[in-house]
Amino acid sequence: MTYPPKLAAIIDLFEALSEEEKRENLIAYAEQSKKQEPKPGETFELEDVRKDEECTDTVGIFLQVDAERRVHFSVTLGPQVQTLTKAMTSILCRGLGGSTVEEVLELPADFVPKIVGGQLVRIRSQTVYYILTRMKSACTVWRNRERAGQS
Amino acid sequence: MSETISEYAHPEVLVSTDWLAGHLDERGTRLVESNEDVLLYDTGHIPGAVHIDWRADLQDSLVRDYISPEGFAELCSRHGITPDMTVIFYGDKSNWWATYALWAFRLFGHEKVKILDGGRDKWIKEGRPHTKEKPKLERSNYPVPAKRHDDSIRAFYDDALAHMQARGTMIDVRSPGEFKGDVTHMPEYPQEGVLRGGHIPGAKSIPWKTAVNDDATFKSAAELQKIYVEGCALKPGDDIVAYCRIGERSSHTWFVLTYLLGYEKVRNYDGSWTEWGNRVRAPIERS
Repeated sequence: MTYPPKLAAIIDLFEALSEEEKRENLIAYAEQSKKQEPKPGETFELEDVRKDEECTDTVGIFLQVDAERRVHFSVTLGPQVQTLTKAMTSILCRGLGGSTVEEVLELPADFVPKIVGGQLVRIRSQTVYYILTRMKSACTVWRNRERAGQS
Repeated sequence: MSETISEYAHPEVLVSTDWLAGHLDERGTRLVESNEDVLLYDTGHIPGAVHIDWRADLQDSLVRDYISPEGFAELCSRHGITPDMTVIFYGDKSNWWATYALWAFRLFGHEKVKILDGGRDKWIKEGRPHTKEKPKLERSNYPVPAKRHDDSIRAFYDDALAHMQARGTMIDVRSPGEFKGDVTHMPEYPQEGVLRGGHIPGAKSIPWKTAVNDDATFKSAAELQKIYVEGCALKPGDDIVAYCRIGERSSHTWFVLTYLLGYEKVRNYDGSWTEWGNRVRAPIERS
């Protein structure tokens, strides 16, 4: 599987790191998650803000798709969201920005363990897949709307 | 912390953020952070705290079980913990995982345990110090515990089944949707492998989080009495089994019932719904 170029570069970086270095870099990405929030005045074609029970705080996915069907994601995270989820937010916003809707929808999740590392891939760390799932869900809704508009 | 802390059955088991701030260098104590968020400790923790991870450190990596007494001795030795040391646990999610780690320490007979009331969230919200620097601790030589006390504070499937058949008090601490059988996992989270939804017949539904305030501190003794004693019609000396999905949320309720309300026979069924809901012919009720 060929990943979108920006995401592939991030995967390559993480694959070369030790477990300890992975953790340090994940925290660095997590600390950048606020920068992924929508900027003042930005508009989006799709906004999906939800709060799930028990384990996570509110997560908002904001999707903009340009004329060439290339995506731009912004994400808002509540304060209780886990550090790994914050890290994946920054990684995915950067790594998938400029990809097409179809590239996002077809992206397999097998790259996540390459970034997170074996030590952190455990039952609870399934939350690292959460943002990707929500981004794909936003793309699915966008595409369904597009198809409905064409019919 | 509740202003009426002395009304808890064992008020000495809680320390406040104020107290801890003045006793960070207290001899004979070890501060342990235990979280759901696996990277949270690395982003900053209370000065002097060590990190114990609920899976990597406390659970056997192959068999679904806890570490051996030898593994526990090694874990404690690595963190410079000795048997006479008071271990103060704290963590995220209203001390959800801190109480789990405390329960695991009790499994190995470590009795001197406490909880930071309000946990990590309260400490951070109060603007108290935290650091990314990991403490450099001298290794200790924690003796291997003679046994793991599975018989007193832990229930296995057969114990839970016998308890249900004897109409013993069973508390299901999961969310209402899980109790009713509407869902088998949390929304938007991957299925964790439960084939049937519902609850153990006769179990009372008291979600674990009803025991804590918005600031993550425990509710007062009077409020807890109302929730658990009135809510479950508990009598003094009752034998109680608590369960959730994998035994972590129920360790929080185990802590409340044991230390704050003083029930002496409380067991955590850590196999919980991921075992019961998959077990062939295990009786299930939905409501």
